[in-house]
Amino acid sequence: MNARERIAAVIALQKPDRVPVGPLLDHYAATYSGYTNAEIMMEGDKRIAAVIKTATELGPWDMTFLADTANAVLLQMGVAIPIKLPGRDLPANVIHQFQETEFLKPDDYALLERKGMMRFMMEIAGRLKPEWKGLRGLVALMKAIFEYRRHVKMVRSRGMEVAVGFVHPGVLYEYFSLGRGITAMSADTFKRQDAIVSAGKVWARGMANLAIRSARFCGVARVFIGMSRASPDFISRRNFEALVLPDLEYTINRLVSAGITPVLHCDTNWTNFFDLFLRFPARRCILELDGKSDIFKAKEILGGHMCIMGDVPAELFVLGTRDEVLAYCRRLIETVGKGGGFILSSGCSLPVNAKVGNVRALYDAVEKWGWYS
Amino acid sequence: MARHDELSDLGKALAELDEASVETLVRQSLSQGIAPDEIITELSAGMGEVGERFRKKEYFITELIYSGEIFKHAMAMLQPLRKTFTGGKAKGVVVMGTVQSDIHDLGKNIVVTQLECAGYTVVDIGVDAPAQRFVEAVVESQATLVGMSMLLTTAFGAARETVDAFTRANLRDKVRIMIGGAVTNENVRQNIGADFWGKDATAAVDIARAVYQ
Repeated sequence: MNARERIAAVIALQKPDRVPVGPLLDHYAATYSGYTNAEIMMEGDKRIAAVIKTATELGPWDMTFLADTANAVLLQMGVAIPIKLPGRDLPANVIHQFQETEFLKPDDYALLERKGMMRFMMEIAGRLKPEWKGLRGLVALMKAIFEYRRHVKMVRSRGMEVAVGFVHPGVLYEYFSLGRGITAMSADTFKRQDAIVSAGKVWARGMANLAIRSARFCGVARVFIGMSRASPDFISRRNFEALVLPDLEYTINRLVSAGITPVLHCDTNWTNFFDLFLRFPARRCILELDGKSDIFKAKEILGGHMCIMGDVPAELFVLGTRDEVLAYCRRLIETVGKGGGFILSSGCSLPVNAKVGNVRALYDAVEKWGWYS
Repeated sequence: MARHDELSDLGKALAELDEASVETLVRQSLSQGIAPDEIITELSAGMGEVGERFRKKEYFITELIYSGEIFKHAMAMLQPLRKTFTGGKAKGVVVMGTVQSDIHDLGKNIVVTQLECAGYTVVDIGVDAPAQRFVEAVVESQATLVGMSMLLTTAFGAARETVDAFTRANLRDKVRIMIGGAVTNENVRQNIGADFWGKDATAAVDIARAVYQ
């Protein structure tokens, strides 16, 4: 099997020849390749060179991200939050950091409904970055998408598969949680439910359209969906079902209907909502976990329903020994990977200060223990 | 801690996140001549119930934060009237900060609010705080508990350096150090040389209670 066939097999919950490996690569590409984090974020040619070097030399991996979450244009378009960037606000060799403020205001729910998703997103981009006001933001976005498509071809020509064709920032609750800040969003969760529900529909419809078009244009039939602050760490099941689940289900169904696999990128602990994910289409989604959710419980509940991806924890890459990483990978392969439907990956992004031997251990683990007889 | 059915109407309103009723009941209490400290005691009991529900997984981070905001709003009404305050000894002082090289303040702020609601005085030294700033804050405030927050694995070194700074200042045996944040766990605590790892804001309050008991 080649990488593409392996990934297709695990999504369909079939047994491939070997467990595929596909870490979430962003800033670590700078560490490994010797570029600065600023260069990775601002310069597409250096970013893709770093991605290819890292994914090839520490694998070859079956699947790699294109350092999407370290792409300054896409990142600033996708999140409504001021970002401190390396080389601009921070030293060139550190990663970007979010500045949590109440950047979006209560009136922005209504503004979104009036303007529609795309015009709203461009207005927010212009607020964050004045040089993107008006059509200039749209031009920057289009350029980034064209560049992305070119990078997809470069990676595929080396026999690797690209993880996603578009990074969907998540349903409105997620997008506004970052933009409003968690304090204001916590109050909104109880005081502005109608606005969240109403604007959420507009956001979900518009963002699904953009995701489908972009993924098709880039030629990768998978879309990352950001999921973090709607987890059971943050909100009750009742509020999740009222404020999040309808938009999430709509988004997933739209993507699946368009032949696209949603990659549910779940940061924080989602274990207590796993049962709700059984309502999503079977054999059509990837559940990507970051080391905080119980991936073994995910296998029990969802193993027969969706592909599971993860979840070597960040601190293990940094503080653990190579043998400890190998042991954890082996446990994942032999339990979560049992019978197929599993992609070995990092829990969220590979940390920028991960030990090289610990990252290399992912590929070594699937080569040693990941072959299905 | 008072059980829910033992709470006053004000305590119950806060526990139920009923912001409007909390404001009304605080005003009513004041107009009836009830001392601000007595009202604060009722509010604190309500916050205790919120914490209890969080531990039982009936409440989550949004409830925790929203209750803290309601509490702070009520305190803003009461604070100017506390000239006659008599009971007012804080339970203890806690220095809280996000370690150097990390500017995330979400987790830290949640812990700060919960500690304050539980009756502790918090010296919040902000984000990207150098080791020496933690030491200075402890010297100035005489705190015996320090909380270090971090969201990045690259902040582990700065956290270690902060613990070392207390050792160099001959304060390590006088302060207890707790860590918290998305990338932390018991292994990270050991690696950094801290005394406690708090997995969430209520765990941090429990640690403060243990230190200041």
